[in-house]
Order: sequence, then structure tokens, then C-alpha cells
Amino acid sequence: MTERLYLYEGVGFDPHYNLAVEQQLLETVQPGECILYLWQNQNTVVIGRNQNAWKECRVSRLEEDGGTLARRLSGGGAVFHDLGNLNFTFLLPTADYDLKKQTEVILTACQSLGVPAVLSGRNDLTAAGKKFSGSAFYHNRGRSYHHGTLLVQVDREKMGQYLNPSPAKLEAKGVDSVRARVVNLADIQPDITVPALREALALAFGRVYGLPITPVPPERLDEAAIHGFFQRNQSWGWCFGPRLPFDVSCQGRWPWGELGLELAAENGVIRHCSVWTDAMEWELSARLETALTGCRFVLPEMEEKITAARVPHSADICALLEAQNF
Amino acid sequence: MNFPSELQYSKSHEWLRMEDGVAVVGISDYAQHSLGDVVFINLPQEGDEAQAGEPFGDIESVKAVSDLVSPVSGVVCAVNETLLDSPELVNQDPYDAWLIKVENISDTEDLLGAEEYESFCAECEEAEG
Repeated sequence: MTERLYLYEGVGFDPHYNLAVEQQLLETVQPGECILYLWQNQNTVVIGRNQNAWKECRVSRLEEDGGTLARRLSGGGAVFHDLGNLNFTFLLPTADYDLKKQTEVILTACQSLGVPAVLSGRNDLTAAGKKFSGSAFYHNRGRSYHHGTLLVQVDREKMGQYLNPSPAKLEAKGVDSVRARVVNLADIQPDITVPALREALALAFGRVYGLPITPVPPERLDEAAIHGFFQRNQSWGWCFGPRLPFDVSCQGRWPWGELGLELAAENGVIRHCSVWTDAMEWELSARLETALTGCRFVLPEMEEKITAARVPHSADICALLEAQNF
Repeated sequence: MNFPSELQYSKSHEWLRMEDGVAVVGISDYAQHSLGDVVFINLPQEGDEAQAGEPFGDIESVKAVSDLVSPVSGVVCAVNETLLDSPELVNQDPYDAWLIKVENISDTEDLLGAEEYESFCAECEEAEG
């Protein structure tokens, strides 16, 4: 049974660090405790545990804008975060995990600010039929977390840019996102701000559980342990290179001819490349296939290999890849 | 719910069957039932090490991601690749849809027999109310 409530407010806006703190809080939560962790990420797309980064996110555009792609431990689909979004996480022993009660905390907080918030389906909170919050869940050896987003005043234009799928055909093993029409809380109740929502959540947390709230004991936040999770979170292999295989195909047409490209990747690396073209240059297909096989699925690296291999029409082929907006 | 008597079970709801020194591992009927519809299973590769009590993969259902915990330490010698495309088989027949096979077993978690496990599941149910 939950007997002690802790509140922890994240300090920075780096998703890899914040997700590392979340994992550390999970690994150290004790029987009888429930922790509410509130945190924010700047300009970030967070994908689910078993998703393909390029299928869910226009990674190159996000990175050009200085944004970050992160992978979380929980399931479900891709979400966009900026400082107009507030994340919450409930961390507790699985035995005390009570989705209904945890959801009530969020609903109570929103209602206290004048938002007619309701639970819709299993994961979404809506107001006037539109989604402003999505949740995801993770269980690990007797400990669980339930976390979610709260859109207060998110840049929806950016959200649309980054979460829009590429025009290329990309087929991946794994889990696909479910698209939903979203709304900002500030569009429903103009006075709502992130600090006001933080305060309302802390109040509702104590009220729903009927217990006092104390800060998380600082020794829980062991820097060395957090650093370990942080290193994994920001590694290319974790974000982009899980084993989940995927296939990409795209094609283009130029005055010199047509070209189609089919790539099969695993661990984020192109394992097989096949090219068809009606171009006059007989060496084009073989050179392009050799150049891309073994290359990581990273646009600048692919372009470098194509250029270095002196593939005919390499500028056009690079432009074709760029146009796919991976 | 089904608890085949020839299997052993872990408290993290995996089952284990020994076949000529090789441990076959899956998740129990109770586990698949509480997970709900499974949408993806992330399994290790042949040759990977498995550690008793440590995660060897994860299973994503419509409700959550849960880590899969190995009941034995050893080397993964087979992976049920059909689950990559058909994860729903775990819901349909959790005792047929094995996940991994482990050989060179050096350690085993404390496991429960079918009857013990059945009462453990009943306690879990109760705790969830």
C-alpha cells in the first residue's frame, strides 16, 4: 500500500538526462512509496521502446533545428516535447500500481484549473473531445512507471513537421504510432501555464492519496548511476540502432533516366542495397550498391560514401535521399 | 487459467521446460492475460548471454512494455523468430509460443511448481483488487 509520497521536479531540459533520472528513480523506489516526477524536454521527439526512429520522425529536420531524438523504455508511439509540454511520471512498486488512482491525480489537477478533462480509452486524456495528454507504461521486475505528456502550449507546427512521415516507403518491424488530433490546454483555458499546472499536480497528488508530500531523498539520485543510463540513452545504437530490421525504398526521375533504390537495414546499418536504373552509365548500380552496403542509415554518411565512390549522377542521387526527409 | 503441471514458473511469470539440458522459456497464461494483446516482442539473438533474474528482452502489449526476465543463466541457443511477425501467438497459446532456448546453464532462479505458482497468481490477483 502507498504510504509515502515523494515529488521530484526535473532540473534541465535534456531528454537523455531526464529519462536517465526517471530510470534511476524507478530502480530505487521502495515498497510503500509513490514518486511523482515532473519534467520537461526542449525540442525533442521521444519514440516508444520498439519503434523505428526514421519511420516516426523526420530525424534530419529535427537535428538541423538543434532538436533531439530520444527513446524511452515504455511502449507506444512518438511524441513531440518542447517547453510548452509538461511530463509526469508516477513511479511505484508494481503491487501498488493503480492506474485509475494515478489518472485521477492528473484529471483532478486539470479540473482544478477549469479544464473539463476526461479519460478516453486506455491512454489518452481529452477535453471537448480532443487529446491533450498521452500515457505509456513500463514494468520491470516488480517496479512500474506510468508516464505521460500534458500539452499546455506546445508548438503544434513543429510537432507536425517532425512527426510527419517521410514520403519514402519505409517498412519496419516494431510498433507504429497512432495519430490523434491534439489540443493545447491553453487553448481551452487561456490562463493555464506550465508552473500553474505543476502546482496543481502537486496539490492533487497529495489530495488523491490523502498523504503529505516530501522531496525525494537526494541520495537516490546517484550521479554515477544516472550517468550510466544517460550514456546509453544518448548513444546512437540505443536511439537509432536497435536490431529491428527495416526496408526503405524510393525512386526518382531525371533527364538522364530513372532510378529506384531499395535498402534493407538492421541495427541501423544498411545490410543490403539494390538499385535499378535505365541510366546509360553501366557502372552506376554496382557502385551505388557497394557504396551504401555497410553504411549507417545516416544521411551525411550515405552522401559521403556516394560521393567518394564516384557514383555517376551522385548529386541527383543525394538530392533524392535528402528529399525523403528521413 | 491454465497451469501445465510439467512446467516450472518464476515469480516474474515466465515458464521453463527442460529438454535434454536445454531450458525452453516462455511467459505464462497469467502473464499473457494480464498483459492484454501483445503487439511486439523484442528478443535477444542466438549466442547472447542470459542471466538468471535479469531481463533478456521485452514484450510490448497494448497496455505497457514489460521486461522479460530470464529464469536461468546460460547462452541463448534458439530464438522463436516467428514471434517477430506474429506476437499474437503468445496470447493464443502461451505454452506453445516459446520465446528462447538457453543452453550451458550455470544458474537457475528459485522456481515454483504449477500448484505453488497457481496460488502465487491468486495472491497477485488479490493484490490488484
